[in-house]
Amino acid sequence: MHNWIELPGCQYITGTTCDFSSVKLSVFEKIQLRIRAEKGNRTSPWHEVGSFIPFRKAQIGPPKVHLKAEDKAIIVNISPPGTKDSLMWAMDILSFTYSVVIWKNSSSVDERTETVYPGGKIYKLSPETTYCLKVKARLRLHRKVGSYSPVYCVNTTVENKLPSPENIEVDVKDQSYVLKWDYTYENMTFQAQWLRAYFKKILGNHSDKWQQIPGCENVRATQCVFPQKVFSKGAYFLRVQASDGNKTSFWSEEKRLDTEMQTVILPPVISMKSVDNSLHIYIGAPRETENKSTSQHYPLIYEIIFWENTSNAERKILQKKTDFIVPNLQPLTVYCVKARAVIEDEKWNKSSVFSDILCEKTKPGNTSITWIIAGVCTALFSIPVAIYVVKGLLRCINYVFFPSCKPPPNIDQCFSEQSLKNLLLSASEEQTERCFIIENSYSLVTVEETSQVDEDHKQYSSQTSRDSGNYSNEDENSGSKTSRELLQQGLV
Amino acid sequence: MTTGCILQIALLLCFSITALSRSFNLLQFQQRSTNLECQRLMMKLSGTPESCLNNRTNFEVPKEIEQPRQFQKEDAVLVIHDMLLQIFEIFGKNLSHTGWNETIIENLRSELSDQIDRLKAILDENTEEENPTWENSTTMLWHLRNYYTRIVQYLNAKSYSSCAWTVVWTEIYRNFSFISTLTDYLQN
Repeated sequence: MHNWIELPGCQYITGTTCDFSSVKLSVFEKIQLRIRAEKGNRTSPWHEVGSFIPFRKAQIGPPKVHLKAEDKAIIVNISPPGTKDSLMWAMDILSFTYSVVIWKNSSSVDERTETVYPGGKIYKLSPETTYCLKVKARLRLHRKVGSYSPVYCVNTTVENKLPSPENIEVDVKDQSYVLKWDYTYENMTFQAQWLRAYFKKILGNHSDKWQQIPGCENVRATQCVFPQKVFSKGAYFLRVQASDGNKTSFWSEEKRLDTEMQTVILPPVISMKSVDNSLHIYIGAPRETENKSTSQHYPLIYEIIFWENTSNAERKILQKKTDFIVPNLQPLTVYCVKARAVIEDEKWNKSSVFSDILCEKTKPGNTSITWIIAGVCTALFSIPVAIYVVKGLLRCINYVFFPSCKPPPNIDQCFSEQSLKNLLLSASEEQTERCFIIENSYSLVTVEETSQVDEDHKQYSSQTSRDSGNYSNEDENSGSKTSRELLQQGLV
Repeated sequence: MTTGCILQIALLLCFSITALSRSFNLLQFQQRSTNLECQRLMMKLSGTPESCLNNRTNFEVPKEIEQPRQFQKEDAVLVIHDMLLQIFEIFGKNLSHTGWNETIIENLRSELSDQIDRLKAILDENTEEENPTWENSTTMLWHLRNYYTRIVQYLNAKSYSSCAWTVVWTEIYRNFSFISTLTDYLQN
């Protein structure tokens, strides 16, 4: 539920318009209005006007103009649109731009449109002529264009005996500004004044704000020099006036001085080192000649120009880093380098002068160092490979010339008979041969005793299998025993 | 190499490239320079007794200024320009009760005016092209202006007394720290 408030100045209105300017509301807040008609006790329903921000709807009215004529110029004192306490443009006074349309009263063909500051002047006019002009205000940012003021006309005065100085220039030399101008007559004295630039943008007659430039009061030459520290960082306007003792001229055209534009960027200090067939360049801060109170460290990029000492072909590099390498140069050649600092901005084309030229000879190409490193690496890599190869060779040789006589471990599976096993797989080093005579006829005659003999055999075999340590002795004993028994039994 | 490993390496590369490609442009440099100079000059203005700070009012700084999220460069220029403009206007009001050095005030306004000109040049360029995000940008502007209207109304209500100016001085000094944060968004 909205909190509707009665709008002062719009109560019991008989017409169809009302003015609520007296209301102290914020022009940037959204407001909503509603209206209804009343007759006696009867009221119509409310009609709501859609919400809006007053500032957005507002239109710029005509500015107020006050003119003052000189011989070849007119001073145009513009007051911003609205009253002094008007809320609408209170926050945008500095943002207004004013365009003036001026023409000679005699012929409206000769029209000129100019953009002026509130306390600005229109120059290059003819003396003793009636000029008429109209002014409109504009708020570019908010896309608002105001309506023109009424036409004002003024007569320029008779030409002054003393013309104003012309072609004012400001140069920088060492730590001073040099203000120069042109003047047609000789033997005159001049004085120069300065004004902070922002005073021109705010309303009112600021003629009392102009101040004398020290060192430029009553100079006889058409130039004067004053130290840079007179002006702290900022923008200013300068003007010059001529005088012959009795009379003075009108003030010259105002020259804008922006101290930031005049800053001198010192050249950098370069140092070089040659590394193989490339150059390692270091860019250092400029030599500080004097202690500056406001030492500006602008964002800089560096323009480096280098060339072979013998030829004139120059190569240009733009670098932001202060430490970089120029590769792929000819070995044993002398290269020369110079550099300057440039402010990194598209619009501002400011750079320092070039630094001193530095020359250096590049080293001979691919020196032993690289080879040594390469050699060491290969050696380190090849040693394990060589060891591996030699080991393999030794194994091969051993296999061929000095074979090991160990039979394979699972060969005893191939032999079931113990005698053969004992024969072949003798664990002792002794190579003793056992010879026995086994008669074939024995098996036919003593058939019934074979079981016994077999048992003995079995016994023996079980014995021998148990006592494998004294294998050969027992074998000898048992073997010979068996054969004697067999012989004895056979003979019986 | 697993995809996780590749992803980490890719992220690291992206971060380092972004970090390295931050170009420090002239506008940002000039703005920082102005911020420092204005704060320095403000410190030179003589203060009044602490008792005045009992009258502190919450002027309700717009949230978008106090805690800015991602700002486009054009919006940052617009907001900083307006803030400097309003601070310039405030220091042009009745200062007779403060006893502040006139030269310092003039230097302060001169510094503000120069930076306002530089920002205005960029804004004029931008308004040449029709900007579809203009509506959103101006909403922020109205909030900002309402905030400054409250400050001016406070000064009016207190008849530009010395105490009122002390409170406003504190608020304006705080504004410069907001502007410093917004200056970071002046990257290209």
